[in-house]
Amino acid sequence: MMWIALALIVWAAAFALNVFLVRNKAPGVGYLVPVIFGLTLLFVWEGFVRGFGISPVLLPPPSAIGAALVSKTHILWEDLVQTFFKGALSGYIIGCGSAFVIALLIDRSPFLQRGLLPVGNFIAALPIVGLAPIMVMWFGFDWQSKAAVVVAMVFFPMLVNTVQGLQATEAMQRDLMRTYAASYWQTLVNLRLPAAMPFIFNGLKIATTLALIGAIVAEFFGSPIKGMGFRISTEVGKLALDMVWAEITVAALLGSAFYGTVALFEKRMTFWHPSQRH
Amino acid sequence: MRNILPILTVVAVIVALWYALAVVLNAPWAYSKAERAEQTLSFSEMVSDTMAQKKPRLPAPHQVAVEIWETTAEKKITSKRSLIYHGWITLQATLLGFAFGIALGIGLAVAIVYFRVVDMSVMPWIIASQTVPILAIAPMIVVVLAALQVDDIVAKGVISMYLSFFPVVVGMVKGLRSPDGMLMDQMKTYSASASQTFWKLRLPNSVPYLFTSLKVGAAASLVGAVVAELSLSQNGGLGARLLAGSYYGQTIQIWSALLSAATLAALMVMSLGALEKATLKRMGMAA
Amino acid sequence: MKTILNTALAGVLAFGAGMAQAADEVTLQLKWVTQAQFAGYYVAADKGFYEEEGLDVTIKPGGPDIAPAQVIAGGGADVVLDWMPSALASREKGLPLVNIAQPFKSSGMMLTCRKDTGITAPEDFKGKTLGVWFFGNEYPFLSWMSKLGIPTDGSEGGVTVLKQGFNVDPILQGQAACISTMTYNEYWQVIDAGLTADDLVTFKYEDMGVATLEDGMYVLEDNLADPAFKDKMVRFVRASMKGWKYAEENPDEAAEIVLDNDATGAQTEEHQKRMMGEIAKLTAGSNGALDVADYERTVQTLLEGGSDPVITAAPEGAYTMEITDAALN
Repeated sequence: MMWIALALIVWAAAFALNVFLVRNKAPGVGYLVPVIFGLTLLFVWEGFVRGFGISPVLLPPPSAIGAALVSKTHILWEDLVQTFFKGALSGYIIGCGSAFVIALLIDRSPFLQRGLLPVGNFIAALPIVGLAPIMVMWFGFDWQSKAAVVVAMVFFPMLVNTVQGLQATEAMQRDLMRTYAASYWQTLVNLRLPAAMPFIFNGLKIATTLALIGAIVAEFFGSPIKGMGFRISTEVGKLALDMVWAEITVAALLGSAFYGTVALFEKRMTFWHPSQRH
Repeated sequence: MRNILPILTVVAVIVALWYALAVVLNAPWAYSKAERAEQTLSFSEMVSDTMAQKKPRLPAPHQVAVEIWETTAEKKITSKRSLIYHGWITLQATLLGFAFGIALGIGLAVAIVYFRVVDMSVMPWIIASQTVPILAIAPMIVVVLAALQVDDIVAKGVISMYLSFFPVVVGMVKGLRSPDGMLMDQMKTYSASASQTFWKLRLPNSVPYLFTSLKVGAAASLVGAVVAELSLSQNGGLGARLLAGSYYGQTIQIWSALLSAATLAALMVMSLGALEKATLKRMGMAA
Repeated sequence: MKTILNTALAGVLAFGAGMAQAADEVTLQLKWVTQAQFAGYYVAADKGFYEEEGLDVTIKPGGPDIAPAQVIAGGGADVVLDWMPSALASREKGLPLVNIAQPFKSSGMMLTCRKDTGITAPEDFKGKTLGVWFFGNEYPFLSWMSKLGIPTDGSEGGVTVLKQGFNVDPILQGQAACISTMTYNEYWQVIDAGLTADDLVTFKYEDMGVATLEDGMYVLEDNLADPAFKDKMVRFVRASMKGWKYAEENPDEAAEIVLDNDATGAQTEEHQKRMMGEIAKLTAGSNGALDVADYERTVQTLLEGGSDPVITAAPEGAYTMEITDAALN
């Protein structure tokens, strides 16, 4: 009972603090407020798990997850290398890269664009989980099949965004290029690609979370004996829930960092765009 | 309708590639089978074998088409072997999850737009929540909800909600904030109350954004329902079908379940599109 | 407000009591999807054996991501079916599972290899790729390998281990030299896929002397302190065993009953009938009571797990004969 009461009190106090911080526009408030909220959430979680006596086999308290994060770092790192650097990242680069190239290729044919976009959207609606066992069958158990699932996941969002981006110029701008007697390639490089940047980055950002999730999910359907998805799917069977949540934590942090990196890159590349100038 | 011809062309190309791939992928099995039977295969024998294997690595399109026909048109829809039966189970969970997702998404969006604290504290965590692989936590959600005596379909709905609320929040926040300063000022000159501003300006203005995010959310909640059915397979559904197909190496069954799921998603998106057109027309906002 | 709540609560209690008189509810969590492996329980439900004992039994199928131990810890089931290695490992993790009955006498687990890989004996595994099930099912394999002195961590002179998915593809596609199979299920899927018994070499855990007990009924230790629960379990075990013996004698009918209960519609009659025939071989020789010698052998095998044993100490109180003694006399 004490833990629950304490959790609720801390929640109320943290909320009041956040309201105060926001009202007074304290310096660094943009980082402080979400961090305080996150910490409160963890504390309430801990308090409820202890207060209600929830079995650690069902939901471990954050303290146990933290302990697993610290004590099993080498396993977590090995899994991260296998899943992120080998599976997700290579799939991300191949998938986004090929989608970009194909978008450029079909750019000259409105006929193909009109056909490919609806079909692409249909395929994008496929539950990719279903493709995972098939990819394992085709590309084997190691990271290649994971990369293949990632390629399948990120390809169409990236393609659709790039194609849309390439159409984002105004007639006036294109006419201006024509008056300069610019060739197709000159127009593409100097006008249309820069104009497409916000769309392309939108696709790249969506693809970051998809890539990581795809690589993890694919490992559920057969894998070597390492990898984040392998660990998550097997440690549940051993009732090592602290380890499962430690992997999930790593996945969430990694996903956010990946997204953040691409977003930062976008800011650098498209500083001139109205959406970045506030 | 002018898109029909290009779409058909693309589909034809895909089907042709699919056939070619089926031959390439299924050939090793055809050869190894022949080798064990101590026969040699001519090229045409090999090709015809790759089109008709029982458990091919990649079933030929017509095999999938036949399977879909047999499990939809030729089975009673109450049969457990009918894809329509399983599709209906999945659709129910999807719609429930979608409803949960819309309610949660709109609720959160309103709170975010009206309370700066909520905006600053919750928004980053909403984004982080989507980096958690749902397949990993779905079994745990199932166990915890089962312990709380919650119905299976609600458990599926909750898992599907986890995926579908996100696009709704993002779209609605954008939509509710879309009225510019001028319009907001005008409401002020009318001395409109906060609730009047909400119902008469912000909400109507957000409708186009809502529909865009609903279309994304519908597909997401279907994926969520399918994922949930991998952990809650006892009641059937397309996800259970996928799982069973994968478990028994029935690739034809996997592909037919996959295509039905995608069709279901496409149908949902299309009906939302029709609803969008009708609504925007009545609201005088049609493009 | 308080009175309303009290009335409502009383109503709920009265309702619960009324239900209890009609039939005691028991929820059983299976280890895997609906198939003939669990025929005894489906037969007992279908033939009214549970009803005769005054029980209302709900059978929940499992799946690849469902850990029975987790379900029972969450209160989602009264009884779970689990393999003993994983149950004992859970016990060491602090979840006090107790074996109350053991309908499976023999182990059906084996390693199935392709002959053309040149494997004829366990010594030939070195340097090969083997498919293994995880999720708590890897324990028998790891014990066996450590007994053979073959490292599984990818080091020199060891084997490469794959986490096998749910199907037999790795051996068909040549991605693994050997895969884990059950005598009653995956082995026949390999055969169905077109390989013949002559193409294969099998190593049964039973023959290798590393067999561990498979499907047993487990409950939480705390519940056994309650005489009412105990009584319920006695009736449950009695009816379930009646179901098993019926299934052994009428395999085709049992397979039909299983098919009727398969909600996914993915099982085939041919496969289930054959599975039932193989399952009957494993349940033969057990009347439901745990054979303590089998238990000791299982514990011994698990303790021998080399540097990373599955359990570190012989468990205490991991089984009870009370239920079967009362049920089967």
